[in-house]
Amino acid sequence: MSGQLLEVRNVTRRFGGLVANSNVAFTVAPGEIVGLIGPNGAGKTTLFNVLVGIYPPSSGEVIFDGKSIGGMKPHQIAKAGLTKTFQNVALFAETSVLDNVVTGGLVNRSLTDARRFAAECLERVGIGAIAGKKAGDLSFPERARVEVARALCTSPKLLLLDEVMAALTPAEMEEIIELVRSLRDEGMTFIVVEHHMKAVMKLCERLIVLNFGEMIADGTPQEIASNRKVLDAYLGANFTTQGEGH
Amino acid sequence: MTRAETLSIALPALVVLALIIAPLGLDPYGYTLRILCLMLLFCAMGQAWNIVGGLANQISLGHAAYFGIGAYSSTILFGSFGLSPLIGVFVGMALAALFALVLSLPTLRLKGHYFALATLAAGEVARVVANSWTSLTGGPVGISVPYRPDAGFWALQFQTVLPNYYLFLGAMVLVSLVFWRVQTSAFGYRLRAIKENETAAEVIGVNTYRVKLHASLLSAVLTAMLGTLYAQFQFFFDPDTIFGVATISVKMALIVILGGAGRLYGPWIGAAVIIPLEEMANSYLGNSIAGLSQFAYGVLLIVVILLNPRGLISLFESLRDRLKRRQRA
Repeated sequence: MSGQLLEVRNVTRRFGGLVANSNVAFTVAPGEIVGLIGPNGAGKTTLFNVLVGIYPPSSGEVIFDGKSIGGMKPHQIAKAGLTKTFQNVALFAETSVLDNVVTGGLVNRSLTDARRFAAECLERVGIGAIAGKKAGDLSFPERARVEVARALCTSPKLLLLDEVMAALTPAEMEEIIELVRSLRDEGMTFIVVEHHMKAVMKLCERLIVLNFGEMIADGTPQEIASNRKVLDAYLGANFTTQGEGH
Repeated sequence: MTRAETLSIALPALVVLALIIAPLGLDPYGYTLRILCLMLLFCAMGQAWNIVGGLANQISLGHAAYFGIGAYSSTILFGSFGLSPLIGVFVGMALAALFALVLSLPTLRLKGHYFALATLAAGEVARVVANSWTSLTGGPVGISVPYRPDAGFWALQFQTVLPNYYLFLGAMVLVSLVFWRVQTSAFGYRLRAIKENETAAEVIGVNTYRVKLHASLLSAVLTAMLGTLYAQFQFFFDPDTIFGVATISVKMALIVILGGAGRLYGPWIGAAVIIPLEEMANSYLGNSIAGLSQFAYGVLLIVVILLNPRGLISLFESLRDRLKRRQRA
């Protein structure tokens, strides 16, 4: 299993009696773009939260970049090179867009360097023009981009994107797909949660499917699209590669 | 330099200059000068609180503990061992840091109201201890700073109020500079991130616990330093005033929140409003209705938080923005 960037070994996460993730196990190689899909409540966001350290796993192990990170604090995991964007958008609302992103850069840079790199990240994500605006005043799609820029500014090796394409127009989605691909070409690795199946099928080379907290499939988009279990649980019988999820 | 940048340096410089000149026309023993002294002291105290309460929104209602520790440390060392308050102040600062460290272990994981209540309780513990440990503190009857006008600066005592005034002005400028340094550094970015979203701050790499701890220690140490200055100014204090919830802890928070929390000029505005207002209330209402000024604080705090939680400074700013827009139109 050597050479993997992320190894998730039988991770279970319980909240009282509820099992949000049950024995989830998969690996991600450097440079992959992996999609994590499944119906609402399948445990996708919980899994992200376990990976970045917001919740420690109840059992199982997470190996990132050769180090066991299960039980480490989120800031330690971020420093090691693993962070995520927030699905419900958790920006510093009273702070400017630029300063939101700068804060991410401080994990491994001085303030001066973080400022410079933050401006680069904003340009990269296509929101340089709104750098001075207050994050709380932005539209939802803009805020999702600031989330991405702030995460990028931590220079992650592995970035977990939680529904950053929700509410985007097809053209905007195309921009994000291009961005993720170009970042991958520079060596970054991604796990993407997205409900828009067309975008997921287009962006990801591999899909992992969760249902009721359990992994029910792991394969190429083509394999997933014809997987009986997945069709029953999530995609639905009338799914075609042209169609959209749910 | 842009016009805004020039203004942001010129304006506070002018205020400080005015504060340097202001007492020259006043009676050096007078009541007005004493009020100005208190105003500067409470401004500095508010600014110390602002580091952790304003920037990180860790609403401490127990800062009287640090203030009292500073006042008692230097006073006891001076009274019992003749140790200059210029040295005693550092002992007080170290003890306050120790108290902040012990207090932080259980409380820094608390959020919002729970943090406020826990710090409130800690301040009360300090008051109760000072009241009961009579052999050390003199207990409820209070403690006096030995009067040694002959010792001069070494005893940090002066013939008139004027040197005290400049000492407090210096302290206010010093604490404001510390605040400004924190606010504009990476440390300040991290504190604001904690204020706005602690989980998100962690996930992008902010060690929230350590950052809060460092801010608390810095705030405690500065507050203790001001406690020594207060003791040397008043010559007498007792546990109920120096560790008081309304007289110290809530007042520090109120000054900052009224003026503008997390803002450099918040405590400047807050202290300039609250301290004279309090003195006026006291002189007009007298002490006939004990505790009325405390009641007034409570009411004022609630009104400010309900009407404008960003403080008076935001009123000035929205007024300025409106004027600018009118000029452009």
